Amino acid sequence: MIHVFDGLSRRDFLKYCAGAAAALGLSDLFTAEKIARALETAAKKPPLIWLEGQDCAGCTISLISVENPSPASLILDKISVRYHETIMAASGTLAEKAREETTREGGYVLVVEGAIPQADDRYCMVGGHSFREIVKETAENAAAIIGVGACAAYGGIPRGTPTQGMPLSKVLPGQSIINLPTCPVHMDHLMGTIIYFLVTQKAPPLDKLGRPLMYYGMTVHDNCRRRGHFDEDRFLTDWNDPEQRDWCLLMKGCKGPETHSDCPIRRWNNGINFCIDAGAPCQGCSEPEFYEEQSPLYAMGPATSRILAKKDAGLIPRKENA
Amino acid sequence: MGKRIVIDPITRIEGHLKIEVEVENGRVKNAWSSGTMARGFEALLLGKDPRDASYVTSRFCGVCFSVHQMASARALDAAFGAQVPWGGTLLRNLVMGAEYIYDHLVHFYHLSALDYLDVMAIANYTGKDPGLNKVKEKVVGLVQQGDTFPLTPRYKPDEFTVKDPEIVTTAVKHYLDALKMQIKAKNMGVIFGGRAPHYQSIVVGGFTQFPDINQVARFRSLLDQLAAFVNEVYIPDVVAFGTGPLLPLAKAGVGGGHLNYLSYGSFEMDEAASRLLFQPGVVFGIDGGARREPVDPDRITESVRHSWYKEDAPKHPYDGAQVFDLNRSDAYSFVKAPRYANVPMEVGPLARAFVDEDPTVLKLIKEYGIKPGAVARHAARAVETKKIIDGMYEWCDQLTRAMTKPGFTIHDTAHWDPPAESEGAGFFEPPRGALGHWIKIKDHKIANYQAVVPSTWNASPRDEQGVRGQYEESLIGVPVPDPKNPINVVRVIRSFDPCLACAIHLIDPQTNEIRQFIVE
Repeated sequence: MIHVFDGLSRRDFLKYCAGAAAALGLSDLFTAEKIARALETAAKKPPLIWLEGQDCAGCTISLISVENPSPASLILDKISVRYHETIMAASGTLAEKAREETTREGGYVLVVEGAIPQADDRYCMVGGHSFREIVKETAENAAAIIGVGACAAYGGIPRGTPTQGMPLSKVLPGQSIINLPTCPVHMDHLMGTIIYFLVTQKAPPLDKLGRPLMYYGMTVHDNCRRRGHFDEDRFLTDWNDPEQRDWCLLMKGCKGPETHSDCPIRRWNNGINFCIDAGAPCQGCSEPEFYEEQSPLYAMGPATSRILAKKDAGLIPRKENA
Repeated sequence: MGKRIVIDPITRIEGHLKIEVEVENGRVKNAWSSGTMARGFEALLLGKDPRDASYVTSRFCGVCFSVHQMASARALDAAFGAQVPWGGTLLRNLVMGAEYIYDHLVHFYHLSALDYLDVMAIANYTGKDPGLNKVKEKVVGLVQQGDTFPLTPRYKPDEFTVKDPEIVTTAVKHYLDALKMQIKAKNMGVIFGGRAPHYQSIVVGGFTQFPDINQVARFRSLLDQLAAFVNEVYIPDVVAFGTGPLLPLAKAGVGGGHLNYLSYGSFEMDEAASRLLFQPGVVFGIDGGARREPVDPDRITESVRHSWYKEDAPKHPYDGAQVFDLNRSDAYSFVKAPRYANVPMEVGPLARAFVDEDPTVLKLIKEYGIKPGAVARHAARAVETKKIIDGMYEWCDQLTRAMTKPGFTIHDTAHWDPPAESEGAGFFEPPRGALGHWIKIKDHKIANYQAVVPSTWNASPRDEQGVRGQYEESLIGVPVPDPKNPINVVRVIRSFDPCLACAIHLIDPQTNEIRQFIVE
């Protein structure tokens, strides 16, 4: 079962185990023989490789924001984190070796955070290799590929920069990719998708942009608690006015009617709050237009005009009719 | 002849960082720090609605999330002529305080501690503490399963690695406890911030979340739990390590570097801003005759002499450009080289402690003979976490008083629309140190945008004069007895809490050939 040792003789394998024991500081506790036995008989936790390209590590921090299950139980009990630059103990070649070995072994979940520069490979290099090549190599033997955050799903913010950040789908044409956009990835969307895959060995049903329907099958507006005020044209103009506190944020640039996500019912960070409840407009971070085509973020722009035209034409149903 | 070691990627930091060192007679003789990833946010912002900037620049970093939202909003406040109401300032301070607690806990326990612990010593724990035995069971279980990722692989423990089973087991228990506490800190910030990482509620002119009294109570209750952890666990751990097993490193001042410190000052303690939690200031040469000066932002320049940008003379950030040139053979980093009065500066917790002349940090240093360096940096970080928490209690009280009075406001709505033409600078002290954003507005749109971030100060390459940046200088003299195990190099670099990602390779200086760095 330990494919990584395929092609190695028993002697080589024992040598590896002796090295592992020394590296772990276990030489006086466990013999190489014992470790070898344990390695050969262990029940395997599903391995995970998490790559970071043109990212901000926000999706990583989102993952370690889930209260239940706790990050410790996820990282130590549920999955085997073979490579994650922000979490792993190893650095340098030691780290790169762990990724290469897991890639050879196969059967891992690959999570990619961040975009991949299209303008020139040299805008993102890891361990002396271009990030684009690393993604292609690592995707080859992956059991599932998940693009987290708007950057991996659509290019996100780096798409509009001189580096021309591109999404995973452009680097891996024809491969099936689960996209979990929003900026950063919603911690529940990621956790739930990983669990779904581990249980079924399949991707959950996806929309045409590769997003799981269970999370992105509705618009933010559908479930917005300010929706009644939208219907009555009560739009917030002054954050200081307690009377306006719950009014619709359309005039502050809200893109909720064009944005697919269950944020209003799920909310964020263990259900404590989310953008709109904090008086901040939805910026459409789950959509391919994020960020550049969503600008201006805090003023009425093209999105507002489209939404108002639809509203006037009666194409956005009132709350009581929904 | 020295041996060249390249570490790429340096992990357990934010971003992509490569460190190259030349080792001679067991010590680092020369060093190069390279940022190996670029996105080019500043260029993206040109021509956009200026209000976008605080939202977009928050995405510079998701680890020290929203610190750029704050600095950017302050630059916009200045450019728009907005006066943030006291209520808005208090809410901004509270959410940034929550970010500090989360950030410092994660940095110490989850990003740094593994460099100082022989995690596998846990197997030798023989005590009776039920909590510690649970930790032992877990780690031994991982070993027996043959799957100790992500705790391994790693560099070999050395003479500074803590191997005492009880201390190590306790530290790993605190690693796991801190994993829960950092969630609580984010949850606390989200009460007003909307979500984390990347708060949503800091905008030009103030804040978007009109608070209610229950939210303040909820915030305070989480603050109580975090204060208990910081005072009873985090600070004692750092002091115990720094004055115990790591004292030789601390006394040798490993990782000291240039010994010049800059802080912009932050966190208004009253409406008139007559008192700040962190003072602004510059200190040149902390060893011996330290020279103190007030900060003058006009003395900041950025050099691109060794950076992958179009060649140019050093510029003030207002006039800085961001045109990449990947073909310059004399460049080795995407990081520019900011200098204050032409001198490299360290920014961050240790800089704040020296600028503030923080009595707790100075007392620790004096009592134990500690010199500025990696260990002192960890200590300053822990001490200021308590300082922030004390400030947050004051802000909670002030907020409660302010919001129960009529006419309470959180936003300057009169200055919401972008001016036709203006410019503004915003300064802030996030966890990693001095942060400045500069914006120029023309025709109501962004005409130029530049940010000089803390890790740019610390991770900068050499400048026009060939003077090394602070990471580079701090590595000089660092002991590397075994070139195959450059653990002290990553310890020093991580003590700054870098906000980039890094790597190690071996270069033979005679052939200049880069060889893969293999750890047996």
